[in-house]
Amino acid sequence: MAACVSSVRSVRVLSKIIHGHFLPAAAVQHQASSSRWLHWTRGSALSPEVSLTEEPDALYQELSVRVKGHDRAVLDSYEFFATLAARELGLTLERAFEPRKHTEKLTLLKSVHIFKKHRVQYESRTHQRCIQMSRVTGSTARVYLEYIQRNLPEGVAMEVTKTSVEKIPEHIQKPLWTDCTLE
Amino acid sequence: MATSFRQTKLLSIVSSQLNSAACLRNIHCTAACLKNCAARIRVAKGDYKPVTYEQAYHPHHIGHRKGWLSQHTSNLHGEDGAAERVVEDVFIRRFMYGTFHGCLADEVVIKRRGNLLVICAVMIQKLLPSKFYFLIGYTEELLSHFYKCLVKIEMQTVEEKMVYKYL
Repeated sequence: MAACVSSVRSVRVLSKIIHGHFLPAAAVQHQASSSRWLHWTRGSALSPEVSLTEEPDALYQELSVRVKGHDRAVLDSYEFFATLAARELGLTLERAFEPRKHTEKLTLLKSVHIFKKHRVQYESRTHQRCIQMSRVTGSTARVYLEYIQRNLPEGVAMEVTKTSVEKIPEHIQKPLWTDCTLE
Repeated sequence: MATSFRQTKLLSIVSSQLNSAACLRNIHCTAACLKNCAARIRVAKGDYKPVTYEQAYHPHHIGHRKGWLSQHTSNLHGEDGAAERVVEDVFIRRFMYGTFHGCLADEVVIKRRGNLLVICAVMIQKLLPSKFYFLIGYTEELLSHFYKCLVKIEMQTVEEKMVYKYL
């Protein structure tokens, strides 16, 4: 998984949220062309909020969303919802898998005073799901994650891991031995 | 005088011996949980008593035949804050039991979504609707000021208590 890109694409970001309909960010390839794509949905009464920034957008090699919960059925339905949302927004879904469940067991005394031989066992199960998406832009990731997190069911925890793509720093772009002359 | 001196000498010998390895005893504590008593209604002699679905199934049926009464993320692996949530839950349940005295048909369900605390309750139609609305507003206002988060109550009224079976 290469974490360095030789040339940076400067991207003009246009993201728009109208009336609860989320649209993917439209990216402009070259700085020279000034054409901008605008996506309009069917006419809405509210005025659309358009934000335009000149700074380059973050690029993510991989976006990994891990959800944990006690109830497997809830996680099943949430996975269906998240994958459907990703498909509708046009994100490339790499894989959606289920890591092994974690069980925490406690063995305690059953009685208050004596009876050491009689114990009681409790257990707590944590089920997990992992949804991985590849090659996502920063604004798309922000929109998708906000939508996903607003609809997170109660009793479910989420962890998001983003692997971003960065430019190689200038001081290590060329190897040192090309400058020095061999003696 | 001689006897008292002898007694103090004996006492010092005994106390010094108590600290030696041979006389030390460790105290081993584990929490005792009333596994065979908590949240179980047992069959009793005499009159049949009505029992709701929640009360009929024992705690080992949670996750299989019962749902969770209090839904939050602090009991998951790698999450903290379980003790605070438990204390809040106990307070909320007692508060609801006291404010809507005699009206609760079943246990209160508490859900936490981000900053929002949702309290779901099923009530018997004992009071007038206007009184219910006042009590809902009062509870929401008081609990939101107390816990510094949004509190919403979702209430459903039923004519009488739903009986699952008689024990």
